[in-house]
Amino acid sequence: MNSPAEHKELNELPPLSEFELQLYARQLTLPEFGLEAQQKLKAATVMISRVGGLGGTVAMLLARAGVGSLVLAHDGVIEHENLNRMHLAFREDLGKPRIEVFRETLLKINPDLRLVCEPENVTEANAARLVAQADIVVDGSPSFEERYAMNREAVRQNKPLVMAAMSSLEGYASTFLPGETPCLSCIYPEPPEYWTVLGFPVIATSSVLVATIAAMEVIKLVTGYGETLAGQLLYCDLSSNIFQRMQIERRHDCEVCGAAAQPA
Amino acid sequence: MATVFIPTPMRKFTQNKSRISLAAGTVAALFAELEQSCPGVSAQIYDAEGAIKRYINVFVNGKDIRNLAGVQTPVEDRDDVYIVPAMAGG
Repeated sequence: MNSPAEHKELNELPPLSEFELQLYARQLTLPEFGLEAQQKLKAATVMISRVGGLGGTVAMLLARAGVGSLVLAHDGVIEHENLNRMHLAFREDLGKPRIEVFRETLLKINPDLRLVCEPENVTEANAARLVAQADIVVDGSPSFEERYAMNREAVRQNKPLVMAAMSSLEGYASTFLPGETPCLSCIYPEPPEYWTVLGFPVIATSSVLVATIAAMEVIKLVTGYGETLAGQLLYCDLSSNIFQRMQIERRHDCEVCGAAAQPA
Repeated sequence: MATVFIPTPMRKFTQNKSRISLAAGTVAALFAELEQSCPGVSAQIYDAEGAIKRYINVFVNGKDIRNLAGVQTPVEDRDDVYIVPAMAGG
């Protein structure tokens, strides 16, 4: 499949204003990055499932980096236990709808950001519509049900999916390219029976770590810069300072992307 | 000796150790030896049919044992064996 970086012809890319050139002056000097990469970021639309400690950090980093459009999905209101890791929310936001708080903070970071804000989590009913609006999907949900729904839609719509997840001080990330690499169901066809959405220990350090990796994967996919984690799972454990890349492969019997998959 | 890296959910069976050195052999032999020193850990790895649980991946030197010889994959001295269960937290 083509990456978003290959889709956008140079003459289709939006120009950068003088103000934007000043904003992004320091990253424009990254080796092999340059003006075209910055224009590709401005032209990109990224959908993020849940905008909490992980997804919210991805949104914040992409807004800072100059990604033009984000599609966000997250339900509920800001609660006390969110504030140890959700960088887009503050104490004054307690009790307010999460998606509105996230919208407000992201627009403070980048008032030019185009935002589509869904006040619901991803479901089987809305996944197709949300994925259809984006070039790339990022999954930061604590729910396996939501993750599998996003994965199915990303495969069906042939969209790259950047997957990042954590628990306690461990985490991992990968980039799934439909038709080329494994999908989530290839590597983890079932969730652990012990997993609950609110049951995992979390401190901001580990969610931010994997979010940073995920945001960089998005930037790489959009711009063609550097090497992605396609076909690899980057595992980390902050308790023992381990970072290890694992090779992952497609499963021919995967019910989502393999020969056993049902046509859409 | 080979090193087995233990994920957080299984560390209650390993006195909270994140890595354990074991004699080389096969993945199955390592896990059997692990069960001897850390009773209860096998039930976290294997399902009722004796297969690796579907939400767990085991990697030897970064390669998924499902693409090698499964639990009969040889493990040499200084090899690294990672047990990586599925996570979804954010």
